[in-house]
Amino acid sequence: MKELPMYQHKTVKVVVCSGTACYVMGGSELLLLDDHIPSRWKGHVELEGSPCLGFCKNKTQGKAPFAIVDGEVLSEATIPGILKKIEEKLGET
Amino acid sequence: MHNTISLTTGTKPPQGLSPFDETTALSSPHERPGPCLDELFIEVGYYQEKKHGQGAAGDVFLSKKTSDGHLISVLSDGLGSGIKAGVLATLTATMAIQFVAEDIPIQRAARIIMKTLPVCKERNISYATFTIVDIDGMNRVRIIEYDNPPYVLIRQSVECEPIKKMLLIHRRGVPRESLPEPFANARMYYSAFEALPGDRLIFFSDGIPQSGMGSAPFPLGWGNPAVHSYIQKEIAEKPDISARELAQHLVFRALLHDGYRPFDDITCGVIYFRKPRKLLVLSGPPIDSNRDRELADLFARFPGKKIVCGGTTATIIGRELGRPVRVCLKDIDPEVPPASAMEGADLVTEGIITLGKVAELLEQGPRFDRFRANAALRLVEFLLDSDHIDFVVGTKINEAHQDPSMPVELEIRRNIVKRIASLLEERYLKKTTIRFI
Repeated sequence: MKELPMYQHKTVKVVVCSGTACYVMGGSELLLLDDHIPSRWKGHVELEGSPCLGFCKNKTQGKAPFAIVDGEVLSEATIPGILKKIEEKLGET
Repeated sequence: MHNTISLTTGTKPPQGLSPFDETTALSSPHERPGPCLDELFIEVGYYQEKKHGQGAAGDVFLSKKTSDGHLISVLSDGLGSGIKAGVLATLTATMAIQFVAEDIPIQRAARIIMKTLPVCKERNISYATFTIVDIDGMNRVRIIEYDNPPYVLIRQSVECEPIKKMLLIHRRGVPRESLPEPFANARMYYSAFEALPGDRLIFFSDGIPQSGMGSAPFPLGWGNPAVHSYIQKEIAEKPDISARELAQHLVFRALLHDGYRPFDDITCGVIYFRKPRKLLVLSGPPIDSNRDRELADLFARFPGKKIVCGGTTATIIGRELGRPVRVCLKDIDPEVPPASAMEGADLVTEGIITLGKVAELLEQGPRFDRFRANAALRLVEFLLDSDHIDFVVGTKINEAHQDPSMPVELEIRRNIVKRIASLLEERYLKKTTIRFI
């Protein structure tokens, strides 16, 4: 029997900011992340929206849009960027 | 407040409905106190459909609140349809609104309009009809009608028939003896009554009773009696139906009879004397974060519906009251950020983008895409379904929005809320207040 990949035991939580600054800087796309999740990850990625993560008010955090993947803050987040981070967190790479 | 309202059905006028003369009515303004003035709000709602294939409506509905507390509504139907009818109806309605607002008595205003309006050479009828409703600060209503279907007054879900006085006006340019009486003289009907809480006044263009004309179920059109019983049925089914909703329902029904290709312009206006529905709209964080608690208390204590516009604002209130705020990722709209949900809030939205869209929708008028469910449309629905709207605006500037790489549409919150409030006051006759925190 084939060994199950490690991530089958783990869930990665992704929080996407839908505040004004993030939304206009590309956050609107990030809310559609679910459509880009490969089927093998289904059930292991949990997408959540936030009314405002508040990072835009702090310049040291980088630029909007922001997302949090498994507790790690991503600035200038993009769909490929988030997917890459999820991949990392799931231990695929 | 009048708690007991005597009811009369049939043709007898109920109490408070008398064809009193304009002069006597005006001479004794303080004799009877109006019915619970502070608690009564006059909701005006209307809905309109253009004739199929026309680019412009030939009916015009205008309303205005004057500084001395009068509310004036006019429905005018131009002869024919399209832009020509629209221009004549606009001319008529605008004249009526201006005259009555300038304190020209309603009967005289109607006479002036009748003498000004052009008369169609072929048909010898005026180019536009009208219904003028003038309500003073004491809730006394005066109505003058010319050639529109008769208005309907519903008091405690019963139709009342106020006595109407007929006024004959000689038409300009029509020789007196050359034509039979109905053509040489125009007949206007004047009526007056005192409105009581819960009263509804419904008036419409002939597109409603004539809808479905020529079809198998309605060879002669829907007809006034059927329209009246439909109104009564609607109110019986939903006793607190808003003016806006009732107007919409009537127009939709007429539209259905016409097979969704209206043969004429269809317009309905409804005036509802109701207890005000209150709405609180909170937007923006307070200038001083010490006042966060104050903002949350305002939210928690408000008696009525509550809306929060702004991610940071929602986060503050959620934090202060210990309530989680969850974004609904179900309806993602390309233009408007998604709405969120929080216990106690009727709606939670993003701030500036949504408010900008709301202002745009309110400017467009009563017709907008009702099949989409984005946060801005939902917010507009709440605004239009309320009578007293309190805006509480936080004045803290979000520095991230001042970044030159951000789109310029991100306006200053104070300005956009002021624009929305003035649109609601002027265009939709709502009562609004704005407080800055």
